Amino acid sequence: MYSLIALLFVVPVFISVLLLVVPKTLAKPLVITTALLLSAISVYLFINSEGVYYFGVPAYVNDMAAVADIILLIFFSWIAIKRKSWIVGLMSLLQLGGLLYLLNTMPAHYSLQFMVDKLSLFMFLLINIISSIIAVYSLRYIDEENCSQFRKKYFLSTIFWFIAVMNLVVSSNNLEYFFLFFELTTLASFLLIGFRKDEVSIKNSLTALWMNQIGGLAILAAIFFIDFNGLGEATFSNLLSNETTSGILLPLALLSVAALIKGAQMPFSKWLLCAMVAPTPVSALLHSSTMVKIAPFIILRLSPALKDTPVSNVIIALTGFVFIAAAIGALSQDNFKRILAHSTIALLALMIMMAAVGTPVTVVASLILVLFHGISKSMLFLNAGILEKVFHLKQSSDMDRLGETGPFTSLVITIGFMSLLLPPFGAFIGKWMSIESLGALATDKKILGALIMVAVAGGGAVLSLLYFKVMGLLIARTGEQDKIHFERTGPFYAVTTYILIGLLMATVISLPFLLNQYFAPVAGSVTGTTLVIVTEGWNMFIGTIKLPLVPMLIAFLLLPVTIITAMFIRFKNVDRAKEYMCGEKVNYSFSSFYFSTDRATPYFATAGILFFVALIMVALI
Amino acid sequence: MSNIWIPIILIILAPLLGGLVYGFERIIRARMQRRIGPPLLQPFYDFIKLADKRKMIVHSAHAFLGIMHFVSLWFALAVLLLGGDLILVIFLHLLSTALLILAAYSTRSIFSHLGANRTAISILAYEPVLIIIAVSIFMLTGSFDATAAFQSEQPLLYKMPLAFLALLLVLPIKLKKSPFDVAEAHQELTGGVELEFSGIFYEAVYTAKWLDYVFCYALVYLFAGNNILLGFGLIIFTFFYLNALDNSTARVSYKQMLRFSLTVSFSLAFINLLINSLT
Repeated sequence: MYSLIALLFVVPVFISVLLLVVPKTLAKPLVITTALLLSAISVYLFINSEGVYYFGVPAYVNDMAAVADIILLIFFSWIAIKRKSWIVGLMSLLQLGGLLYLLNTMPAHYSLQFMVDKLSLFMFLLINIISSIIAVYSLRYIDEENCSQFRKKYFLSTIFWFIAVMNLVVSSNNLEYFFLFFELTTLASFLLIGFRKDEVSIKNSLTALWMNQIGGLAILAAIFFIDFNGLGEATFSNLLSNETTSGILLPLALLSVAALIKGAQMPFSKWLLCAMVAPTPVSALLHSSTMVKIAPFIILRLSPALKDTPVSNVIIALTGFVFIAAAIGALSQDNFKRILAHSTIALLALMIMMAAVGTPVTVVASLILVLFHGISKSMLFLNAGILEKVFHLKQSSDMDRLGETGPFTSLVITIGFMSLLLPPFGAFIGKWMSIESLGALATDKKILGALIMVAVAGGGAVLSLLYFKVMGLLIARTGEQDKIHFERTGPFYAVTTYILIGLLMATVISLPFLLNQYFAPVAGSVTGTTLVIVTEGWNMFIGTIKLPLVPMLIAFLLLPVTIITAMFIRFKNVDRAKEYMCGEKVNYSFSSFYFSTDRATPYFATAGILFFVALIMVALI
Repeated sequence: MSNIWIPIILIILAPLLGGLVYGFERIIRARMQRRIGPPLLQPFYDFIKLADKRKMIVHSAHAFLGIMHFVSLWFALAVLLLGGDLILVIFLHLLSTALLILAAYSTRSIFSHLGANRTAISILAYEPVLIIIAVSIFMLTGSFDATAAFQSEQPLLYKMPLAFLALLLVLPIKLKKSPFDVAEAHQELTGGVELEFSGIFYEAVYTAKWLDYVFCYALVYLFAGNNILLGFGLIIFTFFYLNALDNSTARVSYKQMLRFSLTVSFSLAFINLLINSLT
């Protein structure tokens, strides 16, 4: 087991280096084999693991890690000088100072730097499978990018580098290691966002850099306060075993700040929105399986300690606000990728909220959302890339002919949106469980519970309107085009899409089984209690939550199946009529209409900042 | 609602009931305007006449989605009447309306598009209020199930009068009554989302409106708890209120509607929720 886990760290790093040196022609077999290997290992580990795996590394590795940290921060400072960005420079210097201080004062005698429990294995599954699919897709995508052969290899190499550091992030126990890998994911995203090297890319990659560096700084501060408050070793396992000690709230709050920044919660949502300039596989990677998923991961890891503290209350309030604010922000968007980005922020808020509530049921809801959001979003983003490269479409308002020119892609995107919205897909179940379990929260924190329920349900309604607007464009056609011919997009695009649809369908169909066999044990390991899932008659009981199976099933037949059928069904013996134009001949641009919410959005950032201040304040008091 | 057969019969007869409500409504409205009005069964005569028309559609997906709008709305109503989860009911209702919006967007008709946009805005106007009402009911009864509201010993009306007032203010939006009938607005949009449906395919959208009547009055009935007399009283009151309002007001613009709904109705329901949560 240990060697297999180690393989997950070593193989992607090795391949990442190898990709840089081998000729471009070898990249294809190499990437595909590695993708299969990583996916297989992560599945095997998840199924066959027992208990928690702790392992340590020799002392000289600690020194190497410290050196790597310093080199990384010096690299960031160099970037700051090169790009003349004072804020990146400031952040790097602060981090460097903090790190050097900690290295000098902190006792460095950790024995078990890594911890792989069920939660880590769950994250492995998401990271390795989804990122591998994205890597395979990138083989084709990057060929159409206008850059040198070496840059293409470099792009693929960075993706594997990203996978490696993500695997390491979710297995770190020691916070100093965690800081290093956290910063390395920041580095990987910085390099990928700035890949196109034009002015906007560089500017946006710097934004992503300094925002995420604040997160790094928060982790350093957390380590400092753990030491300062005399809580012993700066490790996750130690934090969790000390959950009632006074003085623990501040480190917890600081780690949560790091999580919320990675998770692009307001007011730090800008970096994720700006990341859209990168090649589309990067967005897919950032949104679905890596980077932002660190946020729910950290909160899930800390949830037993966070539960029922003022800090978790503020996180719940903040994410409830972000959920509805991001949904409202999404309404005014036209750029397809930006619509997706806003919905990511909203759903992340929900995942973080559920993790912060910290009961077994909400943890399951959070896990379901993490996994399904990963699958759906990667599918949507990969197809956004196809739209860009094959159909040359970026704005959703230009997509009103896609139903005629690219029916297959439009079908896939429709399925993707439905999987984020409709029963019985995971995202719906997750949302459903959120609302129902917040009811349980409401018994002792009534006002907070009530407000959050309204926020979640209202935000959900707003988001569904937006999705339906886009879906309406996707199935639009005229009477003359009533037949469907699926287009061909090329093997790499088609195969990755098929795999993702397959994954989506398989997980939906096996959801009752997965809930019992896989999600419940992970939630049990996170919360330290067992969760009972039973099916009684028409209902499935997940802890105290009742999931009505029959209405869900009928809703599935009525909604997703209906929409898919609508794309194929043909009525015979019925005359086709032209649309009614009231006798006028006008050129009307369809879908030029969107909801303007620009007047409200500036206030969201301010509110977000207030929430962050509150988060630190409650921890101090 | 202990007897399971009452809701089942209600569900099966829902389109008929809705049609009768609509027929009666036309008479009442006519009397308010000192006209005689059509016979009570006029909606059904229209129904039969429509079935006989030449079949014409814009494209198949559009027509099919119209039919499914009716079916899914009926299902949402069934879940409500059987005492199902209110959040599920609200979502199903939202999604059934969304199917109609989807149908309207799928054509290249200007009026359909405008209608769909306005219907979407209408949803934004009334949906938050319905959700708050559901959450308030949860706060009072401890369950999201409609059964809990139907069986409540004390009518919910006494505990959440402001929420009922908010419901009265959003119902005209939902039923497309003046002053909030922007989504349909025959003079501007010639029916909006309904425009491109015709003949037998229009039938589905037409009867779906009847189902909406039953749905809305069932929501009103929720406030009466297990007090049947009060329930019918509320329904009759709401019926006359809606028609009087429809007859005596002029249409406002969709912006005014949204602003009114999100400031006045939403706040009323919200204050009620806060009071319910505090006590």
